[in-house]
Amino acid sequence: MKRPPILMLLRIQGERRAFGLWLPLFLLLPLALVVFIILSPMILIALLVLWPIGWGKRALLVLKAACEIFWSIRGLKVDIHGSNQCVYISVV
Amino acid sequence: MSENQKKILEMLAQNKINADEAYRLLNVIESGEGTLESNGKTATAMKGKVKYLRVTVLPDAEHEHSGNVDRVNVRVPISLIRAGIKLTSLIPPEARDKVNGALREKGIDFDVRSVKPEDLEEIIEALSDLEVDVVSSKGEKVRVFVE
Repeated sequence: MKRPPILMLLRIQGERRAFGLWLPLFLLLPLALVVFIILSPMILIALLVLWPIGWGKRALLVLKAACEIFWSIRGLKVDIHGSNQCVYISVV
Repeated sequence: MSENQKKILEMLAQNKINADEAYRLLNVIESGEGTLESNGKTATAMKGKVKYLRVTVLPDAEHEHSGNVDRVNVRVPISLIRAGIKLTSLIPPEARDKVNGALREKGIDFDVRSVKPEDLEEIIEALSDLEVDVVSSKGEKVRVFVE
C-alpha cells in the first residue's frame, strides 16, 4: 500500500526576497478528514441535488482523482535555479 | 528452466500474454532483471524498478561554478503521472477541444481523448525505455530519463 506524503517543503528565492514554507501534511490530513466528516451532510445534499443533472458523478470522480493525486505526490522534487530566482519544492 | 520462465510459458499457453510480450519477458529474465507480474493482461517486468521520471538541465562544466546559470532538476513519481493521465477523462469536451487546438497550432497532431486509462500500463512501460540526452549549443546538458 502506498504511504501518503508526510511533509512538503516549498522555497522560493528571488533577488531581494525569499519565501519558505514547511507544511506538515501528516497533520493536515487528519484535519482535512475531520472537516470532511463535519461537512459530509452538506456534501451529500449537494451530490443529491447535482446527480440528476450529471454533475454529481463528475464531482465524485474529481474527488477520487484529487485523492489519487495526493496519495501519489510523495517523492516529487522540483529544483529550479534561474539567474534571478530559485524554486525548490519537495514532498517527502 | 527457471520458475519464472515456466510461468511465462504457462501464461502464453493460456493466452494471457501474446508472443511478443512473452519474448520480451524471457529476455528480461535471462538478463537477470525485473520480476514477473501475474495479472495476466500486461506482464511488465520492469514495473517494480521504474519509480520516477527525471528531467535535468545542467550547465556545461565551464560555467558550472559561476552563480549565474540555469539549473533544473525535476523528479516526478510515476504514480503521479498515472494519476494525472486518469485526469484526462475528466476534462470537459469544450476544454478538450481547446487543448487539441493549441497542440495542433504547435504542430502536434494529437487528440487528448485518445489517452485512456486502459493504455496506462503501455505508456508507463514505454516510458521505461525513454532516454533523451541533448547537449545544447551553449553546452547545457538536457536529460530526460526514468529511474
